[in-house]
Amino acid sequence: MRITLFAASVLALFAICANVSGQSPAQAAKKQSGAAKPAANQTQSAPSTTDQEQKEGERRFRANCGRCHNPPESISPREVKAVMQHMRVRAMLSAQDEELILKYLAP
Amino acid sequence: MTTPGDRAFTLVNVSRIFAFRGTVAWIGSWDGELGAGLGFIKDVWLQKLLGIALLMLWTASGLCAQENAPILSGGVQFLSSTVGGNTFFQPAIAPVLVVPLGDHWLVESRADLRGFIAHDNGSSGPYSGQFIGTLEYLQLDYIANPHLTVTVGRFLTPFNIYDERFTPFWIRDLQDAPIIFPIGTRTSGSNNGLMFRGVATAHPTWEVNYTAYFSVLSTTENLQSGRTAGGRMGVFFPLAGVEVGASYQRFLQDVNYNAVGAYFTWQPPQIPLDVRSEYAHSPNGQGYWLEAAYHFSKTRGDTSRLGRLQGVARIQQFFKGTPAPGDSLPSADTNRFDFGLNYYLPHDVRVNGSYGRQYSTAGNANIWEAQISYRFLFPALPSGVFK
Repeated sequence: MRITLFAASVLALFAICANVSGQSPAQAAKKQSGAAKPAANQTQSAPSTTDQEQKEGERRFRANCGRCHNPPESISPREVKAVMQHMRVRAMLSAQDEELILKYLAP
Repeated sequence: MTTPGDRAFTLVNVSRIFAFRGTVAWIGSWDGELGAGLGFIKDVWLQKLLGIALLMLWTASGLCAQENAPILSGGVQFLSSTVGGNTFFQPAIAPVLVVPLGDHWLVESRADLRGFIAHDNGSSGPYSGQFIGTLEYLQLDYIANPHLTVTVGRFLTPFNIYDERFTPFWIRDLQDAPIIFPIGTRTSGSNNGLMFRGVATAHPTWEVNYTAYFSVLSTTENLQSGRTAGGRMGVFFPLAGVEVGASYQRFLQDVNYNAVGAYFTWQPPQIPLDVRSEYAHSPNGQGYWLEAAYHFSKTRGDTSRLGRLQGVARIQQFFKGTPAPGDSLPSADTNRFDFGLNYYLPHDVRVNGSYGRQYSTAGNANIWEAQISYRFLFPALPSGVFK
């Protein structure tokens, strides 16, 4: 009985989590090329990013991040810098990798 | 009637057949401390962890800018495993907290709260469960310059790549950790100490990365660590998607010995294929694993029904050396293969299943696994906190 209740609780948790994820405003944006979508309309003060930098950022994203995991479906502008600092340490990204991937995720 | 001690004993046996990183792999190494180490999560420990987390968030709220918010990430899972006819379940949640403190400082932490539910008498009788809470890392990073990050605290052992890169259950392609995983990661897969790491040099076509660390002995519950020193060096060729590297660890406790390892990863840029392999050697044994995973995203796009599917295969061989208490390795030479399928659903939900066959003079076994997991990521504080 306890097991059944526990299993039901876990499934309910999954359902809730999935639903919350589905309601996220950032989720509404379309996924781009299977990678984590760039955080659209990033802060106004961010410097403009050229197409070339974005392409290079995407390539480095795939080369570095894609070695271990699939990209998350969405990353909001508020999360992206912390994610990149985290991954710079964990995945040992070079400073240039971090900069270009950040420009790709948050142009 | 089954006593808690009996349950713990059952858990030890199962854990030695299975070597799940994060919990069960180190249960095998706890041995005599198991009775105290298992059981429900201690309130005091949880309170301390919660206190630290709140303190970090409070500190971060004053230091962080709007666009550099602390994040709470991680995963939840429900895993069912059947090993040689014995079925058990592992519901788990693994929260990851990342708190940036400006551009150079970072606090990172991951815990693993896991239930372990199994029959009281192996393959029959009523089920009973125990919960295990472990702190996998809680570290303060100082990003000194483009080539050096200094880390203090509790960190994942940087021996080969599996521990650092593939232990999160929402990332690994096959849920069971490799047989050789305990080599070089004693005693708990984590170390308490000091670590230097970074990219030594970076060029468009190749990069060299490194780690060097020293850790102290700790027998504190949930914070076990061995006294060790070691390091790893890797060379990454981003255009080819190839990385090769080697690891070394000196175990510096009652018995001093060396563990060495080597790894290889290959992700061809034009094909959604991942090839990974590790070799490890210690006086307790040696072995290797080779894993390949193919994502069918090339067929009709990665959001098509077929494109969400990934097939995985892994082979392993282990050769027993001189057994030692707490080495968490099989008691006999072991060969094993696994096949699995992962299906990536929308909203970062993944379901997977796998079958493995283990050949050993200690007994052959079939291993079936099924898992559903969900990866989450959101700001750790509401947006109103930042002004």
